[in-house]
Amino acid sequence: MNWTQVLVAMLPEHLLLAGIVMLLLLDIASDRPRGQLAVALAAVIAATLAASVLAIAGYTAEPFAGQLSVDSSAFAAKAIVLVLAIPVLLLARDEFPDGPFYLLLLSSLYGASLILSADSFLTLFLGLELMSIPVYTMVLLAMRRPDCTEAALKYLILGGTATAMLLMGVSLQFGYTGSLQLADFGLLLDTGSPMAQSAVVLVLLAFFLKAAIVPFHTWAPDAYEAATVPVTGFMATVVKAGVLLAAVRLFGYESLSGHLVELLAVLALASIVWGNLAAIRQTSFRRMIAYSSIAHAGYLFYAFLGDGEGRFQAVAFYSLVYGLMNLLAFASLPAAGDDAERDRLENLKGYYQRAPFAAVMIAMAMFSLAGIPPLPGFVAKFLIFRNVIEAGYTLYAVLGLVGSYLGIYFYLRLVVYMFMSPAPAGLQPQPTARLALGATLICLVPTIVLMVYPGGLLRGL
Amino acid sequence: MADAILLNIVLYLPLLGIALIVALPEGQDDRVRHLSFGVMLAQFVITAMLYLRFDPTVAGLQAETNLPWIADWGVYYRIGLDGYNVLLVLLTAFLGPLVVAGAFSAIQKDVKLFFSMVFFIQFAMLGTFLAQDLLLFYIFWETMLIPMFLIIGIWGGERRIYATVKFVLYTAFGSILMLAALIYLVWSQYTETGNLSFALADLFGTQLTMREQGWLLAAFALSFAIKVPMVPLHTWLPDAHVEAPTTGSVILAGVLLKMGTYGFIKLGFPLFPEASLAAMPIVMALAVISIVYGACLALVQTDIKKIIAYSSISHLGYVMLGLASLDLLGIQGAIIQMVSHGLTAAGLFLMVGMIYERCHTRDLGAYGGLAKVLPVYSVFFMILTLAAIGLPTTSGFTGEFLVLMGAFLAAWPQHLAGDSVPLVWAVIAVSGVVLGAMYMLWLAQRLLYGTTKVPHGPVADLNRRERLILAALLVPVFWIGLAPAEPMLKTEQAALHFQRLVAGPRATSSGSAPAPVVQQTAEATR
Repeated sequence: MNWTQVLVAMLPEHLLLAGIVMLLLLDIASDRPRGQLAVALAAVIAATLAASVLAIAGYTAEPFAGQLSVDSSAFAAKAIVLVLAIPVLLLARDEFPDGPFYLLLLSSLYGASLILSADSFLTLFLGLELMSIPVYTMVLLAMRRPDCTEAALKYLILGGTATAMLLMGVSLQFGYTGSLQLADFGLLLDTGSPMAQSAVVLVLLAFFLKAAIVPFHTWAPDAYEAATVPVTGFMATVVKAGVLLAAVRLFGYESLSGHLVELLAVLALASIVWGNLAAIRQTSFRRMIAYSSIAHAGYLFYAFLGDGEGRFQAVAFYSLVYGLMNLLAFASLPAAGDDAERDRLENLKGYYQRAPFAAVMIAMAMFSLAGIPPLPGFVAKFLIFRNVIEAGYTLYAVLGLVGSYLGIYFYLRLVVYMFMSPAPAGLQPQPTARLALGATLICLVPTIVLMVYPGGLLRGL
Repeated sequence: MADAILLNIVLYLPLLGIALIVALPEGQDDRVRHLSFGVMLAQFVITAMLYLRFDPTVAGLQAETNLPWIADWGVYYRIGLDGYNVLLVLLTAFLGPLVVAGAFSAIQKDVKLFFSMVFFIQFAMLGTFLAQDLLLFYIFWETMLIPMFLIIGIWGGERRIYATVKFVLYTAFGSILMLAALIYLVWSQYTETGNLSFALADLFGTQLTMREQGWLLAAFALSFAIKVPMVPLHTWLPDAHVEAPTTGSVILAGVLLKMGTYGFIKLGFPLFPEASLAAMPIVMALAVISIVYGACLALVQTDIKKIIAYSSISHLGYVMLGLASLDLLGIQGAIIQMVSHGLTAAGLFLMVGMIYERCHTRDLGAYGGLAKVLPVYSVFFMILTLAAIGLPTTSGFTGEFLVLMGAFLAAWPQHLAGDSVPLVWAVIAVSGVVLGAMYMLWLAQRLLYGTTKVPHGPVADLNRRERLILAALLVPVFWIGLAPAEPMLKTEQAALHFQRLVAGPRATSSGSAPAPVVQQTAEATR
C-alpha cells in the first residue's frame, strides 16, 4: 500500500473526516454553537477545492486495488456533489443553530464522496449506507409536526428495502461471477442467464428506489415535505447527485441493450410524466419540488440510454445544474418563520412586490428547471436528449421531451403566483438572512457562468 | 471586422440597457423611461448604419462573428447579416424606440421590470434573426417566451394569466418537437460527413430520406406555424393580443409573429427541400385559408384589438403564399410583406392603445365620429388603415402586390401544364385583398365617422410624443411604398438562395426571368 496515494487520492474524504473529528472535539470542548457551522463549512470548502484541483490536475491512482480508485472524472463528480453542500450549509444556520446536524451532514457527504470512487460493491455499499443513514436522522432532527415521524419511517423502511435489494443483487452477481467488482457488473448485462439478469434488475431497483423513480417514489413527497428546507435541499441535490453519479460508475461505459433499455426508458418516462403531472396539484412548495425531483430523476436515467461516452458528461452536468437551481430556489424562499407557512405555495403570491430580488431568483430557477433557454437547465436537458437520439432511440427522446413539456405548467404557475397575483393579506415582508443571501450568490454565480459559457465546464467533464 | 463589432454592439445593447436601468435607484421612473428610449435609439442608429453598409450583391454572410461556444458539440456563436434578416433586423431596431416611447404613459406599475423585459425580448428577437447556428437560433427563439410571458402576464388585461399561459404552452409545444428534430438533423449530418456542426451553412443539403425529411419538416413547421400563426394553429393569438398591454401587442404583431415566417424561409423549407416541395400545395392551401379565414374573422369582431389581431393572421397568410410560390418576386414580396405588416400592425396597435388610454374601452360599439373630436388621431388612423389594406404608395401595396404577382407567375405555367389548383388558390387569395379593404374600412367608418360617441369624454387629441411616434412610423411605410427597389435589392441574394435550395433546378424556368428587371430598377433609383 502506497501511503502517499492513500493520502492524496482520498484527500477530499480526509478533509471531511478532519471536519468530523473537529466537530466532535468542539462538542466536548466548548458549548459555543456557532463554531460548528464554520468548521463544517471550512471542511466542505476545503474538500471541494481539493477535489476540483485533483480533477483539473488529472490525478489517477488506485490506493486500494480492486476496491477504490480515482481519476479525473471521479474527482469531478466528487467536486459536483461537494459544492452543492456549501449552499445547504449556509441555509442551515437558522434551522439548526447547533446540534448534530453538521456532523450528520459531513458523514453523509463522506459516504457520497466514497461511492464516487468505488470499484467494488463492498465500497459502494459502504458509501451508499454511510450517505443514507444520516439523512434518515436529519429528516427527524427538526421534528415539528407529527407526520414527520411517519415520513422518516417511510423513508427508512424503503431505504432499507433498497439496501436489501442491492445486497440480494450483489450476492447473485457473486454467485454468478465469483467477484464483487463493479467492472464485472457490466459483464452481466450481456448474458442471458436468469440469475445474471435478476442480479442486474435487483441492483437497478435499489438505485431506482434511492433516486425515487416511479413506481418507487412514494417516500419522496412525504420525506421532502416533512424535512426542513436545508434537509430537503440536501436530499434533492446532494443525495440525488450522489446516487445518479454512482449509477454512472456502476454501468461504466457499457452501452445498454435489449430489455434493459426498455425497463429504463419506460420507468424513466413514467417518472417524467407522473412527476410532472402530480406536481401540478401540489399546494406545498417542498412537495412540488419532490415531484419535480421525481421527474428530473427520470431525465437523469434517460441519460443511461445513450452511449457510455456521453453518459458521465450528461449526468454530471445535469446534476450540477439541477442542484444549483433547486438550491437557488430554496435559498430565496421567504425567511424562516413558521415552517408550515413558509412551505405553502399560496404564500408566494405577490412575492415580487415584497422581495423583488428573491422572486427573480426563484423565477430563474423555475424557468431553468422547466428547461427554457437561455438558462442552463436547457443545455443540461439538451445534453441528455442529444445522447438518447444519438444512440438511436428517437421515439423515446420525443416521448421524453413531450413529458418534459408537461412540466412547464407548474413551474410557470409559481412565476404567475410571484409576479402576477396579489399578495395574500397579513403577510409581512421579512428581511432575508445574510447567509441565505450568500447561498443565493453561491448558486447564482455558477448559474450565470454556465449560462454564458457552458462549453468551458463541458470540456472539463 | 468593424461591422462585426457593431453588430455585436447592436445585439448586446439591450442587455446594457437592462443593467443601466436596474442600477438606477428606485422611484425614478421617468429617468428609466428616458434612458430606455436613449438606448433603443442608439441601437437603431447603429443598425441603420449597418443596413446602409450592407452590400446587396454579396451572397453569404456579412458582419459575421464566429467564435467557439460549446466547441465539443460543434456549437458556435455565429451571427451575421444576410439578405434574409437584414430588413427584419432593421425593422426590430426601428420599432424598439417607438415601442418604448409608446409605453411612456401607459405603464405605471413596476416600470423597471417592464422596460427590462422589453429590452430582454428585443435582445432575444435580434438574436433569433441574427443567429446562423441552429442551436443558437433555438436558444434565442425559446428565450423570447420568458419576457413575453411576463409582459402579458403582469401588465395585461383582465384575463391576462389565462392568455399568457396559453401563449407559452402553445408555442412551447411546437418548440419541444423542433428540439428533437434539430438534434436528429445534426446527428444525421454528423454520421454522414463526420463533421459535428450546428452551423446552418453546413446543414443545408444534408442527405435524408424522404420519410425523415417529412417528419423533420413537420416538427419544424409545427413550431413555426404556431408562431406565424397559420390556421388552424392560431387560437392563441387573439387571446394574447387582446390581453397584452399595448407594448406587448406591438412587439407581438410587429416582430414576434415574423419569427414564424422567418423560420420557414430561413430554416424550415431550405433544410428539407424535397419534403418542402412536396408539401408546398398544403402550405399554399393553408396560407390561402389563413388569408380568407383570418379576414372573415376580422370582419365579425367588435373588439378593435381583435380585428387587428385577426387581420395579422390574414396578412401573414400572404407571406406564406409568397414563400410557397417559390417565385423570386413572390419570395422577395414575402420578406417585404413581413416588414410592411410589422410597420402597419405595430402602428395600428399603438393607435388602439392610445385611444384605450383615453377612453378605457376597446368595444367598437362605444365609439363613433372620432374624426370630429380627434382630427389628428383620425388622419393617422386612416393612413395606417389604407397602408394595411395595401393602397398603392404604401408598403402594404408593395408586399401584397409582389406576393400575388409571384403566386400568379408560378401558377400560370402549372395551369398551362394542366394543374389548375395553384391558380385557383391564387385567385382566392386575391379575394383577401377585397375582404381586407372591407374589414379595415368598416372599422375606420365605425370608429371615425357617424354620430359622435366618445366614452369617458371629452378627450384630448394626440400629444406631441404620440404624433412623433406615428409620424416616424409612417416614414418607412411610404419609403417602401414609393421606392421599393432599394429594400428589395437587399433581399435579392437571399431570395435566390432560398429558391436554389428549395426549388433546385426547377427554379430557372419562371423565377429568374424577373431578376434583372429588379436589378435595373434598383440601379435606376440610385
